[in-house]
This record gives sequence, structure tokens and C-alpha cells, in this order.
Amino acid sequence: MRVYLPCLFVLLCGISLLVGARQMSGYQLITLSDDAWLTLTASRLPRLITVSLTGVGLSICGVILQHIVRNKFVEPATSGGLDAAKLGILVSLTLMPTAGAGSRMLAALLFCFAANVVFITIVRRIKFTNTVLIPVIGLMYGGMLSALAEFYAYRHNILQSMQGWLLGDFSKIVQGHYEIIYLILPVIVLTYLYAHRFTVLGMGEDIATSLGMNYLVTSTLGLMLVAITVSVTVIAVGAIPFVGLVIPNLVALYYGDNLTRTLPAVALSGASLLLACDIVGRLLLYPFEVPIGLTTACVGGILFMVLIVGRTQR
Amino acid sequence: MITVQDLHKTYGSRTVLSAVNLRFPSSQLTSLVGPNGAGKTTLLMMLARLLKPSRGDIRLDGSQVTGIPIDEYAKQVATLRQTPEFNLRLTVEELVAFGRFPYSRGRLTRHDHRVIDDALAFLSLTALRGAYLNELSGGQRQMAFLAMTIAQQTDYLLLDEPLNNLDIKHAVQIMQALRRLCDEQGRTVILVVHDINFAANYSDYIVAMKDGAVHCDGQVSDVITERRLSELYGLKFDIAHNERGYLCNYFKPSGNLE
Amino acid sequence: MTVKTRHTVWVAVVALALAFVFVRSGFDFEYVIPKRLERLATMVIGGICVAWSAITFQSLTGNRILTPAIMGYEAVYLLFQALLMLMLGTRSLMLLGEHGNAALSILLMLGYSWTLHRWLFRDDRDNVYFLLLVGLVLTMVITTFTQFVQLKMNPGEFSILMGYSQATFGNASATQLLYATLIVATICLAGLKSLPMLDVLLLGREQAISLGVDYRRCVQRQLLLIAALVAVSTSLLGPTAFMGIFVANTAYALAGTYRHQVTLPVGCAIAIALFILAQLLVEHLFNYKTTVGILVNLVCGAYFLSLMVRTRGTA
Repeated sequence: MRVYLPCLFVLLCGISLLVGARQMSGYQLITLSDDAWLTLTASRLPRLITVSLTGVGLSICGVILQHIVRNKFVEPATSGGLDAAKLGILVSLTLMPTAGAGSRMLAALLFCFAANVVFITIVRRIKFTNTVLIPVIGLMYGGMLSALAEFYAYRHNILQSMQGWLLGDFSKIVQGHYEIIYLILPVIVLTYLYAHRFTVLGMGEDIATSLGMNYLVTSTLGLMLVAITVSVTVIAVGAIPFVGLVIPNLVALYYGDNLTRTLPAVALSGASLLLACDIVGRLLLYPFEVPIGLTTACVGGILFMVLIVGRTQR
Repeated sequence: MITVQDLHKTYGSRTVLSAVNLRFPSSQLTSLVGPNGAGKTTLLMMLARLLKPSRGDIRLDGSQVTGIPIDEYAKQVATLRQTPEFNLRLTVEELVAFGRFPYSRGRLTRHDHRVIDDALAFLSLTALRGAYLNELSGGQRQMAFLAMTIAQQTDYLLLDEPLNNLDIKHAVQIMQALRRLCDEQGRTVILVVHDINFAANYSDYIVAMKDGAVHCDGQVSDVITERRLSELYGLKFDIAHNERGYLCNYFKPSGNLE
Repeated sequence: MTVKTRHTVWVAVVALALAFVFVRSGFDFEYVIPKRLERLATMVIGGICVAWSAITFQSLTGNRILTPAIMGYEAVYLLFQALLMLMLGTRSLMLLGEHGNAALSILLMLGYSWTLHRWLFRDDRDNVYFLLLVGLVLTMVITTFTQFVQLKMNPGEFSILMGYSQATFGNASATQLLYATLIVATICLAGLKSLPMLDVLLLGREQAISLGVDYRRCVQRQLLLIAALVAVSTSLLGPTAFMGIFVANTAYALAGTYRHQVTLPVGCAIAIALFILAQLLVEHLFNYKTTVGILVNLVCGAYFLSLMVRTRGTA
């Protein structure tokens, strides 16, 4: 299984490079004719990088959140993070319409971080964290933030375009418009460095403190990493639900919960899942695309159902 | 009398109960004892019809329990599980009144009120009847729930670890009340209990379970022996028996633990 | 709290109703007053649906922070409306007429809930939390689809769609109201008999079974009733997700007892009052710069958050 995963990933990368509206034969690829090179560098390669990084980033987000909240069903979509980012973008668009993507990302980041902090504070007061109640509350919390965004958007008449931000779509990825996604790289590095601490975090505040770890600092760091990833992905791509939910659970089934060991598997699986969904989305209605948000919703939803049903069988 | 024949319970490939054959004597107090994972609670839940057996049958006074309709069964068997975290604004009296549901479906008659009063008096809860449940201590709350099952006026009472998290005084009070229910009202009480001393001192009949099967069962004097209990729990027991009752000392066994 | 406070609530409702109908109407009995009465009737029926379904749902799930919307009923409705708008465009309004649309929506929501229950309640499984989890997933998936569909339509269609997706009171005609009243009245009368059973359900699954309640059948039946009520209110008003939480919890607080016989009527009164108040605010304070749906969701959403903080999630 350990060898299987990287091989799968590489294979999917290859397929991703070859699939697209513009026909590219293997011959063209190898000889790197001008046309092929342009398609490759301007569109395919950036897309591949974005998809992989998003997949990695989102699954890592999921795993961090799950350890902080100590609940298997939490991820940015079920903890209000995505909706908060949407609100942040909205506010920045209306308050500073001329600002660039950078400041929009900053606004999204701030809102996402604040929303996560509020959510965690609320959840910590809840007695039984190991139930389905948490993601349900998270979903409703996200719905409330959405309602706030709608209220705001309605007054400024950008309700419909706002819906557009929320649907993940990789077709916008083109060289020159995606570089912001590279911000996920430092997040990945930091998560790997702190993997052990996040695992301890997942055992609860009491155990973590008794083991000498500063619970508050570590969880704040975790939340910050999550906020960065979510805001970057929402700005660059849109919202992609379920990846952070399904991947950590699947990986934990096979590899357990020790992050230092499982982080590579989580990252690779996340990237592979998203690549697979992206390829399917590009092939299904060739040459048109199904937005990634839709494919992950379907695939992720089914996978998640299987997970729940399997879990409650026992 | 409740009889259990060839009862099995499996979850997928995991067998939790196998080949259980038992007869629970009527109007007596039976304790289910044994180490963790022995299947005691599973057995009790199947008697309560909260779980379906994978194989085998359970009979109540000769007829299969699966054939008895739910509301009829409620008039014959009452179950009390662990008291959940309670945040309903209920007074003790309102809780006990629920016990009359199988009979009056919410409309309390004068007879119902009398039964409720009797149940409260039986457990000396009359003074607390107007108090709210979340203002009571754990022990008092447990007594209130017991009063509810008493008001249900069933012949059989099933209790799952009723003494958990209770201080010693309330634990003794509950056991004494259960004993009186058998002696004075002729009810059959079956309970899962962890404390072997309470089981030894208050039961008539003991069923000892281990690893999903019946290890031994019989009158208290037959089961509460040093040999039997050591086999059951894997600990060395020192049992003292005088006219006051049994004392099982397993706290500081001599020699090494296996 | 007592009979007196309960009466006060109803008095407040009547006062609000009168204010709504008559204030600034110029006593125009030709047009303004009948229109307002229609809207009032919508609020009353909608209020009853929201309150009844929310309180019952909370009793079933044993938790005061939940609302039937998380089962996905409203998400299905929104998807249906979006699809309709996408495929038929504004012609859908003419093609189906408002009756057709409402009838189809209700049937769809009922069908959805029936399939859900059939699938979820087989194999001896009657764990309500499992139901919630599935509802959660389905809501997320369906909402994603709805967002996709909304993107594909032109802005004109989108704004019409928004009319359906936000709770408003002006949409229903007199005949629709009549049908809705009949449905709701039947449901409530049918539900009246099982009120004591709902009380017992408050004690939890195992205690209810021990007291002789056919738990599985009871839950199934109640969920169906809830689905029907949500269907009617959604097609009449639009989605009202968070309102149920606010109404239910205020009802418990005001009623002072657990008995559904008391909490249900009080809840209905509160819901109706909330609707009237929101409409008055939208008309006179906000000058239509926002809709009732958004306002209600906002206020009730904030209430939901504060509730979670206060009650530690186990209320």
C-alpha cells in the first residue's frame, strides 16, 4: 500500500497533463513542439500543480481540524470556514473594490481564522465532542455566516456572483493567475514539522497539557494554517467540500491516527482524489468541464456515506 | 418466570453471547455478575427487548417474548438503564408519572395518582416530589428513576448497573428497596451489578458470566465460593460469611496477580 | 409560568396581527386589507408549520439545537426550484402555475423523506443521530448542485429564483392558502393523539421502549409528519432554516413545562408573532432593503450561536 499510493499519484499526474480540450498526443509531448509546450506550461502544468496542492492542502486542513476538535467529521465545509472566507471576500469586495487578489485573500484569511476560533470556542464548551452533533452545528454555523453574507450581498446586488465564488472550478487556472496557490507549500512544511504535536492535540487538552504542550499556542497555530489554506484555495479555485472530510477518515482506517506516520499518505491521497475528480470532470462532458466542486460533492458524498454506513454497522 | 434458551448474539464475526441457557426464578432477586465484556448487559438488553438476539429464544411465563406486543410487554417488564445526563425540567413527581404511560397513555386517573404516591412513599421520596431532577444529587435522581419503574407496576424489573456513580449510602438504599420489592411485592428483579459484595448480600440467585457464556449459576451459597469467584475474575478471593452476610475480600490478594 | 403568561403571548400575537393589518392601510377594504389578510393567513399557517415541525423534531432527536432543515428537505426544494428555472426559464411560471409548482414541490419533498426513511430505517437501525449524519451529507451535496445550477442561469432568472429561495409572504394565492390550511389542519389533528407519546420520547429511546412505545414506528410517523409540515411551509413561504430553533427554545422557556400540549401552541404563537414582526420591520424600518427570510435567518442564526455558547451544546 505504501508503494501503491505514490505510483497512483504519478500516474494521475501523467493523465492530468494529457487530458484537456486541446488534443495532445504523446508524440507531441515528447518532442515538445511549440504548441504542446505552450499548452503544457500555460495551462496543464499550472493546473496540475494547483490541483495537487489544493488536494494536499485541503486534506491537511481536515486532519488538523479533526485533531483540534476531536471529532471525525469536521472539515472546513462543516465548521464554517468556507462560508467565513466567502464573507471575507464579500466584505473586501464591497469595502475595497480596487484592491487586488492579495488583499482579498487577506480579508478571507482574517474572517476564516476568526470564524474558526469562534467555532472552536463554542465546541470546547460542548460536552460530548465525539458525536455527529459537531459537524451538524458546524454546518448550521456556516449557514448562519452564509445568511450574513446574503444579507450583505443582497444590499449590494452581488448575490449571484457571490454564488460563483463558492463553487470550486479549476478551469480558471492559467499561468499568471494561480501563483497564489504556492502559499500552501509553507503550510505543508509547517504541518509536517508540527505533526507530532497535532497528534497529541487530538488526545485532548488535559493529556496535552500534562505532556507539557502549550495547548493554546499549538491549536492557534493549527487554526492559522487552516485559515491560510482555506482562504488561498477559495480565492484561487473556489470551495471544494468533502476532501478534508473523507481523506483523513479513509487514511485513518488503514494507517491509524499518528500524524507523523500518516501525513504523507493523507497528502498524497488528497492530491490523488482531487486529481481523479478533476480528470473525471474533464472527461465526462468532453470537451466541456464539470466543475470540481460538483465532482467532489458526488464522489466525496458517496465515499462519506459508505464510511458512515460501514462505521455504524458495528 | 423468564427462561432463556440457546441465546446467541453476534456482531459480524464477533460473538458476544453464545449458547446461554438460563431460568430466572420468579419473585427473587437475580444478579448478573462477571468481568467486563462478559455479555451481562447484552443479555439484559435482550431480555428488555432493546436488542434482538441472533439466535435462540426468550420466554416470559411460557410464551415467546417476540410475540408479545410492545405495550403489553411494558406492563410486564420495566427496564432501567444508566441515567442519562438529564436536562429536562421535570419534577420527581412528573417523572414518576411517566411510569403510568403503558396504562393510561398520558391521562392520569385517580388510581394512577395513588400508584404514584405509593411509589414515592416506598422510596421515601415524598418530600422531594416537587423538586426538579437537575437539582437533585446523582443518588436521589437514581431513586427517582427507580420510583418511575416501580410505578410501572410490572412483575419483572430489569436494571443495568444501577449502582454506578452512587455514594455508598444511596447504593445501600437502592439495594434495600430492590430487596423489599421482591419480598413485599413479589416482583422479580434482575440486575447487572459490578460490586460482587452487593450481589452476594442482596441476591437470591446469581448468574456469573465470562467471555460471552454462563460460567456458573445458582443460589448465592453455591456461587459465592472462593474457587468459583477466583475462576471467574482471575483474582484470589477471601470470603467471610457470618449471619450479617458475605464479605468478599479481593483487595489485597496474597501472591502474584496472573 | 402559567396560564397567565401563555395568554399574554396570544394577546401579543393578536395585537401584532391587528397592527399589521390596519396600520397605515388607510382602511382600504378593497385592496390593501384583503391583501394583508392573505399575507397574515400565510404567516399563521407558516408559523404553525415551522413551530410544530421544529418542536417535534427536537423532541425526536433529544437536542434543542437542531432543526428539520438539516435533514435536507429545504435543500431539495431549492434544488428543484433552481432546476425548474434553469430548464424552463421564466416560462416555468406559466407552465406550472403556482399550484403546480407548490404541489410538485410538496410531492418531491415527501418523496425524498420517504426514500430517506425507507433506506435508513431498515435493519433494525433506529439511531436518530445516524439519520442526522446522512441528512448532513445530503444537504451538502444537494446545496453544491444547487449552486452549480444557479451559476448557469441568467441574472433575470436568478432574481426570480431568489424570490422562491427567500421566505416571503406575498407568493401564495387564496386557493393555495386553502389547500395548505386543510393539509396543516389534518396533520395537526392527527398529531394531537400522539402528544403524550411525544412526551415519553423526551426520556430517550430506551426509556420510551421500556414504557411501551413502539419507538421505531413512532419516529417514522413523526418524521413523515414533520416532512409534510416542512414541505407545506417551504412551498408557501420559502426556506426558514434557523427559525425553528429560535421558536422552539423560546417556547420551552415561556411554557415552563415539557408537555407538548403546552409547548406546541406557545411555539405556534411565537412563530406567528415573529413573522409579523419581521414583516413589519422589513416594510417600515428597512424599507424593503432586505427580505423577511434574510432578516429572520440573521436574527435566529445569531440566537442559535448564543444558545450554543450558553447551553454547552447539550440542551
